[in-house]
Amino acid sequence: MVAAKKTKKTHESINNRLALVMKSGRYTLGYKTVLKSLRNSKGKLVIIANNCPPLRKSEIEYYAMLAKVGVHHYNGNNVDLGTACGKYFRVCCLSIIDPGDSDIIKSMPSDH
Amino acid sequence: MVKFLKPNKAVIILQGRYAGRKAVIVKSFDDGTRDRAYGHCLVAGIKKYPSKVIKKDSAKKTAKKSRVKCFIKLVNYQHLMPTRYTLDVDLKDVVTVDALQSKEKKVGAAKETKARFEERFKTGKNRWFFTKLRF
Repeated sequence: MVAAKKTKKTHESINNRLALVMKSGRYTLGYKTVLKSLRNSKGKLVIIANNCPPLRKSEIEYYAMLAKVGVHHYNGNNVDLGTACGKYFRVCCLSIIDPGDSDIIKSMPSDH
Repeated sequence: MVKFLKPNKAVIILQGRYAGRKAVIVKSFDDGTRDRAYGHCLVAGIKKYPSKVIKKDSAKKTAKKSRVKCFIKLVNYQHLMPTRYTLDVDLKDVVTVDALQSKEKKVGAAKETKARFEERFKTGKNRWFFTKLRF
């Protein structure tokens, strides 16, 4: 495998950071709004669930490459990502517009 | 965080009559206008791609095969797929929103972009832009 197995500790830290963003920052959930945020260059980090359809994943990654925005592949499916966001629905992809108090943008792209 | 829907960006039209065609952004309206309250842009695209030219072709045949038919359109950002390619052909003076108001102006502008596209095609540059997208 290319990526090393994510340890439980880093996984929890992503969840913590995400929870802080949900509380204090601005974000959008869902494919359409993620693309919108990338087009108007508001998005700063994109998080994609691991069961995102491969075509959609590639498309979001391509947009993020054009916009020079980091993409984080979340270690969990859309159900888990929805729970991590504190929502009761599935979230396949989300875009962080303003991280608030969180340092998710500074720490995540190096982590990957 | 970089704006990429800028003039000279090559894009692919995804919806409408011209779906699957390549186009170049001439002018972008990020915040929309009064008539179109969404992000959209003015594009000049290829309606009919130039055919494949082989060495055996006579000069007359090459000229006929290298023809490009163009279209000018205002397209919503949602109906475009941006690419990493750019096409720097100066179309700002020819392709304007004003040119879309009447049929004659539109035809005149399309003729002028056709001339510029054909000229660019003949130099052999931007080959990706002038090849048909296979799907």
